[in-house]
Amino acid sequence: MTEHDPKSQGGPSGPSRRDFLRGSGLAAATAVFTAQATTAIEEAQAAEAGPAVLSGEVKLTLQVNGEARTCTVEPRSTLLDTLRNRLDITGPKRVCDRASCGACTTIIDGAPVYSCTTLAVSCQGKTIETVEGFDTGESGIPHAFHQNDGLMCGYCTPGFVTACKAYLDKNKGKEPTLEEIKQGLDGNICRCGTYIGVFQAALAAAKAMKGA
Amino acid sequence: MASWPQNPRLINTRIPRLDGMAKASGRAKYPSDIQPEGMLYGVMLYSPHANATITSIDTKAAEKMPGVKAVVVITEAGKKVQYQGDDIAAVAAETEEQARDAARAIKVEYQILPHVVTEAQSMAAGAPEIVKGGNTRKARAITRGKPDEAMKTADVTIEATYALPVITHVCLETHGLTAKWEGQDKLVAWASTQSVRTVAGELAQSFEIPTANVTVLTEVMGGGFGSKFGADIWGKTAAQLSQKAGGRPVRMFLDRVHEHLAAGNRPSATGHVQLGATKDGKLVAMIAETHGTGGLQGGSQFPLPYIYDVPNSTRTHADVFVNGGRLRAMRAPGHPQGCAIMEAAMDDLADKLGIDPLEFRLKNLPSGQTPDLKPVYEAEVKMGAELIGWKENRKPRGQNGKGPIKRGLGMALHTWAGRGVDGNQVSCTINPDGSVELKSATQDIGTGARTVLAIIAAEVLGLQPTDIYSNIGNSTFPPGQGSGGSTTTPSMSPPTYQAAIKARDALFAKLAPGLKVAPDDLSLADGKLLVKGEVKMSWKDACRKLGMMPISVIGEFDQSLASSGVGGCQFADVSVDTETGVVKLNKIVAIQDTGQVIDKLTWESQVYGGIIGGLNYGLFEERVMDPTTGVMLNPDMELYKLAGASDIPEIIVRCYEPDDQKRRGVIGVGEPPTVSTAAAIANAVTNAIGVRVAEWPMSPRNVLNALASKSQNQREA
Repeated sequence: MTEHDPKSQGGPSGPSRRDFLRGSGLAAATAVFTAQATTAIEEAQAAEAGPAVLSGEVKLTLQVNGEARTCTVEPRSTLLDTLRNRLDITGPKRVCDRASCGACTTIIDGAPVYSCTTLAVSCQGKTIETVEGFDTGESGIPHAFHQNDGLMCGYCTPGFVTACKAYLDKNKGKEPTLEEIKQGLDGNICRCGTYIGVFQAALAAAKAMKGA
Repeated sequence: MASWPQNPRLINTRIPRLDGMAKASGRAKYPSDIQPEGMLYGVMLYSPHANATITSIDTKAAEKMPGVKAVVVITEAGKKVQYQGDDIAAVAAETEEQARDAARAIKVEYQILPHVVTEAQSMAAGAPEIVKGGNTRKARAITRGKPDEAMKTADVTIEATYALPVITHVCLETHGLTAKWEGQDKLVAWASTQSVRTVAGELAQSFEIPTANVTVLTEVMGGGFGSKFGADIWGKTAAQLSQKAGGRPVRMFLDRVHEHLAAGNRPSATGHVQLGATKDGKLVAMIAETHGTGGLQGGSQFPLPYIYDVPNSTRTHADVFVNGGRLRAMRAPGHPQGCAIMEAAMDDLADKLGIDPLEFRLKNLPSGQTPDLKPVYEAEVKMGAELIGWKENRKPRGQNGKGPIKRGLGMALHTWAGRGVDGNQVSCTINPDGSVELKSATQDIGTGARTVLAIIAAEVLGLQPTDIYSNIGNSTFPPGQGSGGSTTTPSMSPPTYQAAIKARDALFAKLAPGLKVAPDDLSLADGKLLVKGEVKMSWKDACRKLGMMPISVIGEFDQSLASSGVGGCQFADVSVDTETGVVKLNKIVAIQDTGQVIDKLTWESQVYGGIIGGLNYGLFEERVMDPTTGVMLNPDMELYKLAGASDIPEIIVRCYEPDDQKRRGVIGVGEPPTVSTAAAIANAVTNAIGVRVAEWPMSPRNVLNALASKSQNQREA
């Protein structure tokens, strides 16, 4: 995958598209299509001879921002829709809904992941961090985005902040160059064109984290 | 005549936006995040065909699907759907997954009709007529002077065709709202909109209830760029579904595909241009035939000639109709197209004349206009030329070295109005606890409107912007400006200023007798009340003396505090790989005037953002339609290209703001800086490779096509 992605060519060890897909765990998820889901599907099909209804239900507990959160999802429910619609965790945004823009980025077991293409059922037992869980103090990344005006309409911002956090956590103690920051944030898209502020914010955050 | 403070403490400094932390920490609740108790999920069903008659529509199966609470048919059997994405029906269900299933379960049968989805297809001989009266509607020529005669007297002329594609807005938060009925005749809507008042008015009209019974809330919103002014069919449908579901709230936001197809686009523009000048570089005449498409209706018009003084010109424009989504205003409507075509022709003519294109532009600036932008352009071009290194680095077209990578420079000028609009109001309340609240039915599209209001009030009241509660995004507040045409800041700053001054004066009038001084002896600074310049008490203590009754006043718009009409210029430095056609931006320089700036930090963000929007238009964006199937081939964010972090070059932004500019008052800046970027980039690419790339975007395909046509011409010659 990576070799077909011009943005990733020759880049440092930032989050590549391959890593995102791996993190998405589409394959692993099929194993969690539990018996109860299958039963529910069959019931629904029996009740309605019309179109196939894939609306089985799965009870799920997710570890989000240090809290165990329980909800009911369908096997096909994405992590993003589960966070937003079932758990009212609306920091991650739905924008492209197919792993192109990064607005839905969450951190799963330390790696940035596009939650719009990650099945919720594949995230059981994993540590999920969203932007809401980040440090909002002066050494935190949200503060750097705020001070450097790394946002305008702000809809892409949680994704950028999360990607930035994942990148800086992975490169702890280093002070990244502008080019490295750009590579690290290349999985995200902003439409207002607020990139310059984002770069300044990321550089400032790196400095603050190093100092902390 | 009112004027802005001579030596402001806060105005025109760099102040982080008030809601920046809420946005950066994911806590800001966008309309698409709001989840009122009992909310249902709405999903639209839209046409997969570019042109078809619906022969039957059956919702019975959908209605029986699990979780479904309401189904609405928008296009009944017998009616037509005229583009891919045209609305057919909608569903509301307990979960989004269920709603999607149900929308899919609506059985629609179509009689498919012939379509045209590109301009070439629409204008071809024998094309099916998709609009009564023909697929093209030509406007009357707009003529100045005697262009045909004058063209004959020109020493040098060029004739060329330039073309820009349709692009879409790609608002990151898609169009939509969440609607909730309160009783039979009261409606609340959390809408992602640029105009809370327009949405309220349209919903009231649709449901025949008083506007007073509709509350539209937009605390924050995820981008509009000109496409989000109304309730839209989707918002009205959400309210209708809610009604059908017994008043349960319904969230209806488009999916990404539908957003591309139906939620607006910037029309295409093609110009066949003849431009002539005297040999010393004075423009003589322009003859232009242009056309563009914005779907099934007109509105693809754009300004041409643009900026420059062309004493004799004629221009005929035609709207070309296609089975595509409807155009909507998009960031500086018409200007990027007019600018790109004019500036390309200017560069091509300068090249033929053998004159530096910068000098050629300066020679042809209009004079004696109101406002007179000539001296502004002259000063801005000088600043920009120095920052890009025009003199040292620019080579004549095509003389950029022998290797495969060619480097080139290009420039372009732009203009925009950005006026303030009368009738807007802001209320200012000073509470006895010292808190200050501003209210207006405007909203923040991302420009920092909330912060701008707070800065102005804080300036007047001797407080900090964070001390001000800037309450906007509610249609029931005093009338505020819709966020379009770069009018929000110039429309809302004057009433805010007036409201704060009125509130301050009312406070002084109340306090003065108790302090046994005249109101004129009182002033405010650093959160303190001063008597004859001496600190008397804290702001809070002063406000406490109001007792039970707050001060609440309304500020009105004041034309003397705002103005209209800006210039601006941009320069691009690019490298082009002539073997692959890949364009790399090295640097962009932008000089922008906008009168009195309120917040320099958010001002800069808007200019950067405008440039990056123009960069997308110049390099990447293009709606690709398939003539055979009639569908859009890239309704996503992967094949519909937008710049990512690595595509952003060094960008230098300078504000042109000598004192006489500041004295003009506040002017909007959202649109002007997005106008000329695509033009400057194209001129830089052309300068680099020595042949005009006449089709935007400057994609490898278009660059290589231009290079191929050059080598073909050389072979033939």
